[in-house]
Amino acid sequence: MKKQLLMLGIIFTATVAMAATPDFSGTWARDNANSDPVPNQMYWMTRVAPAAPRPAAGTVLGAAPGAAPAAARAAGGGQRAPQLTLLTIHQDAGTLHVIDPQSTIHEYTLVGDGSPHTKPMDTGIQNAVVTAKLQADSLVIETTEPFGGMPGNVAAKIKEVWSLSPDGKTLTITTTRDIPARHQEYKEVYTRTEAQPGTICSDGCIVRK
Amino acid sequence: MLRPAEIGDEGCHATHEYGDSFSTMTISRRKFFRGAGAGAAAGALAAATPSQLVAQTPKAPKAAGLPPVWGEDFLYQWSPPENVKRDLTPGPNIIRLSNSSDITNREGTDYDALFKTMRAAGWTACEAASAGWLARTMPDSEITEMKKQLKANDVYFYNIHCAGNIIAPGSEAEQWQRHIIDAIHAADACGCKMVLTHTGSMYPGRDTAHPLNWSKEAWEKSVNALKNICKATAGSKILVGIEPVNTEAINNPWAMKRLREDVGDSRIVCGLDITNMVNAGVAFRMTELMNTTFELLNGMIGYIHAKDFVWDGMLPGLNWAMNGTGNMDYEVFLAHISRMPDPIMYVEFLSSAEEYQQAQRNIRAIAEKIGVRIHGTQQPQQA
Repeated sequence: MKKQLLMLGIIFTATVAMAATPDFSGTWARDNANSDPVPNQMYWMTRVAPAAPRPAAGTVLGAAPGAAPAAARAAGGGQRAPQLTLLTIHQDAGTLHVIDPQSTIHEYTLVGDGSPHTKPMDTGIQNAVVTAKLQADSLVIETTEPFGGMPGNVAAKIKEVWSLSPDGKTLTITTTRDIPARHQEYKEVYTRTEAQPGTICSDGCIVRK
Repeated sequence: MLRPAEIGDEGCHATHEYGDSFSTMTISRRKFFRGAGAGAAAGALAAATPSQLVAQTPKAPKAAGLPPVWGEDFLYQWSPPENVKRDLTPGPNIIRLSNSSDITNREGTDYDALFKTMRAAGWTACEAASAGWLARTMPDSEITEMKKQLKANDVYFYNIHCAGNIIAPGSEAEQWQRHIIDAIHAADACGCKMVLTHTGSMYPGRDTAHPLNWSKEAWEKSVNALKNICKATAGSKILVGIEPVNTEAINNPWAMKRLREDVGDSRIVCGLDITNMVNAGVAFRMTELMNTTFELLNGMIGYIHAKDFVWDGMLPGLNWAMNGTGNMDYEVFLAHISRMPDPIMYVEFLSSAEEYQQAQRNIRAIAEKIGVRIHGTQQPQQA
């Protein structure tokens, strides 16, 4: 009897714990109208117009590693119609899988105590230290990495706070990026969608809810 | 490549060059000539006496390039090795930072205010641009006042950064050599230790790459131009800094060292800008390029330019980036610089005063991380 009660207690506690944390699973379309422009995340050019965003290791959003900047793609061959920017997320008790618009999979180990994990950066030369902590109303991902993924770069600290609206239909990601030279903060809003990756943005990228 | 270095009665010593390494071997004279084949070269050598052979044989230059990473039989050597030596041991010297906000000799300049502004922004060294500096001869009284305020504000005026092209076509070359000579005299007059120039281009503009900039003609013009400058300023102790730049004959540390040897004057030093020597093949091997450069040019570096770059285009589109965010290994860079005597870093090629402050924040943060000391302080960042 005691064992049964103990088992029930464990199940109940786990269920409450699960219910107490947000579930980001689903497909999400970027709401450009309510999002800030994403600043260049990898290159900080000083004498030319900045290239389109490119992700650092700990960053979910933006182009895939090695992907041509959007401006370069548009200027070269293979021009494409604009597409919805989609995130596909699978979340279980211990892991968050995020598939970004370039089909790159980012995997985060969700740890309650926020203990750090090391992962290689896009360059394959340097590592980033990442913590992903699931809290009652948000997910906080903190990353420390060399800015450009090269030896001797200045250290960059990136903090992403993911939160869901009460109805679970809107995902907001607020990112702060700090290096000694600069502090950046921007917000991105995503709306839950049934659209599939590759959907053409034929109506001005307005998400049909 | 096989070439004769010395031929005696018993045999000859030939130098075998492969990549960056050399080895000397002894082979018989008969074997040497068989190896050389029946070509004209062998015929010419056979007709010469041993002493003539030595005289005719040029000194073998080492290849200007980093050693192979992935084995000599692998086509590409552009990616860095896994375990690059990164000696982050800080040196004993304190680095002074300067930037492209030049010292001016405009009449009526308030030098106390000028240097206080530099100090307040964290810059403790400065240089002048030659065109403006030479446009007006400073009276002795102003020089005295400027020196007094430099000392009072602990700012170091170290260089006149020269315009021009000392190997330009036609009579322009001589005009620009004269400009450098005038700059040396001006530096002497105001207690500045160095002038900086480039070896230039066969086109009128020194930053435009001419196809023959790497010809023997361009090299000889560069050497002779510097010999002229040194001869005309003999007795002066002002250093003549040469900045190696990709578009010019002197565009790597090996060429810089050889140039100094060919000019034969110890006043020739390097105004080192590592990013100006970067090509696609070394863009991701910067730590090694720095290690090699500081080793090769040890004792002959006048000062350092501090920039950074990334490769973000389909062509070898190397573009300037904020210091500490690109391919430059700033930790190793700063460690090397702190081991030089009286080190000065000149931050340049940024677009605004704000960017210069940002660059300085990054540089100071990286220096602090590895224990390298930088002179002066920078005001805290505004919230």
